Amino acid sequence: MKVLSLYVERDTFIHRLEPITKLLYALISIVITFLFPSITVGAVFVASSLSLAISAKVFKRMILLLNVVLIILLSIVIIQGLFYSKNATPVFKLWGLTFYKEGLLYSLLLIVRVVNMIISFGVLILTTRPSDLVDDLVQKGLSPRFGYVLASVLQIIPQMLSTTSTITDAQRSRGLETEGNLLQRFSAFFALLGPLVLNSLVEARERAMAIEIRGFGVEGKRTFVREIPETKADRWIKVALYVVFTVAVVWRIVLWIM
Amino acid sequence: MAKNSKLTTAILVLIPVAVGINYAGKLFASALKLPLWLDSIGTMLSAVLAGPIVGAISGAINNIIYGLTTDPVSFVYSLTSIGIGISVGLLAKAKMFNNAFRTLLSGLIVALVATVISVPINVVFWGGQTGNVWGDALFAFLQSKNVGIWLSSFFDEIVVDLVDKVLCVFITFGIFKALPKTLIYTFKGEE
Repeated sequence: MKVLSLYVERDTFIHRLEPITKLLYALISIVITFLFPSITVGAVFVASSLSLAISAKVFKRMILLLNVVLIILLSIVIIQGLFYSKNATPVFKLWGLTFYKEGLLYSLLLIVRVVNMIISFGVLILTTRPSDLVDDLVQKGLSPRFGYVLASVLQIIPQMLSTTSTITDAQRSRGLETEGNLLQRFSAFFALLGPLVLNSLVEARERAMAIEIRGFGVEGKRTFVREIPETKADRWIKVALYVVFTVAVVWRIVLWIM
Repeated sequence: MAKNSKLTTAILVLIPVAVGINYAGKLFASALKLPLWLDSIGTMLSAVLAGPIVGAISGAINNIIYGLTTDPVSFVYSLTSIGIGISVGLLAKAKMFNNAFRTLLSGLIVALVATVISVPINVVFWGGQTGNVWGDALFAFLQSKNVGIWLSSFFDEIVVDLVDKVLCVFITFGIFKALPKTLIYTFKGEE
């Protein structure tokens, strides 16, 4: 079955880690880069996330993920460089516009944070099957009912997208105008979304009955077809992450007091 | 399970569908070259059908799934989606969608809620920008006139959100009114 995912099939150490370990790394590295308003701290985490991505052999895909925010990052440099409220020291002039040091440094700080966020989450997303992540979370205590919701979204979206193209074809064959002026296109939006909503709600009702019959609502502990193992490496990495996190928080508090 | 007793199986299967509708809305909007996102119709519909809590869950899961499949930045905007789900659910309960005027008012409230939640996120993550060309141009203009960052960011966000959210609310209600009653009762939360 087609499932929505960015997972890249490789066999590396990073791929074999437990999904929660990678999730923990992403969360902790993001929180730390926001605790310290320092470009150096940000750069250290960008470097470490990037080295994880390279060792997991997903560097090329990572570039594609970063492309999504490229334009907004460029516009941050321009807008903050020109108009940041604490701007005082001019650095260079371009086409008669003066860029300031304070704004450029501030935009650099924002950029390292966002880039770290994308790469650290990217490592998780590109090296983990979404279903493995959901299974792992359920095995660690997430409600299985919510686990089902998360897992089924990933299957339903591709299903609905194929319904989408069926509906588009059907409406076009009835003469639906999908080009033309804004009003025409807007009414086409209704003609396309309406049947999709009705169709998916009817299917959802059937699905609810089907899983209810198969014991979905049963209370009690669940067993798993596939156990996600927690290896020794996972345990050590988790301990290390908790230590780094605690040190960072304590250090931050000390800096505040002093 | 007492806490989850309100979340019947029918409602749990509604949540993935809501996320799918959001996805399809965005897809249709870009296929028809509409200058808007229209990507919160599913969240709104689930909130109208099953109440504010389900709306909030749909919104959160929507952004988590976006984060996992297209753009990690969308994780942090879960808060905005949760706000949209809750406000639409509450407005529907307060019968704020009975006529066109009330629906318009609801749309404005939802847009305001979405903006108020998004602005702090924009300021922390992007220095106040939204990534929308028109909004950001306004932001740059206001910044150059020494308007404070919070106010600039507020206007940056609301010019985009206002039209989008009001339209989403209208579309959601258009669709909701057209749904067969039996289907509506299936997904209605237990009171």
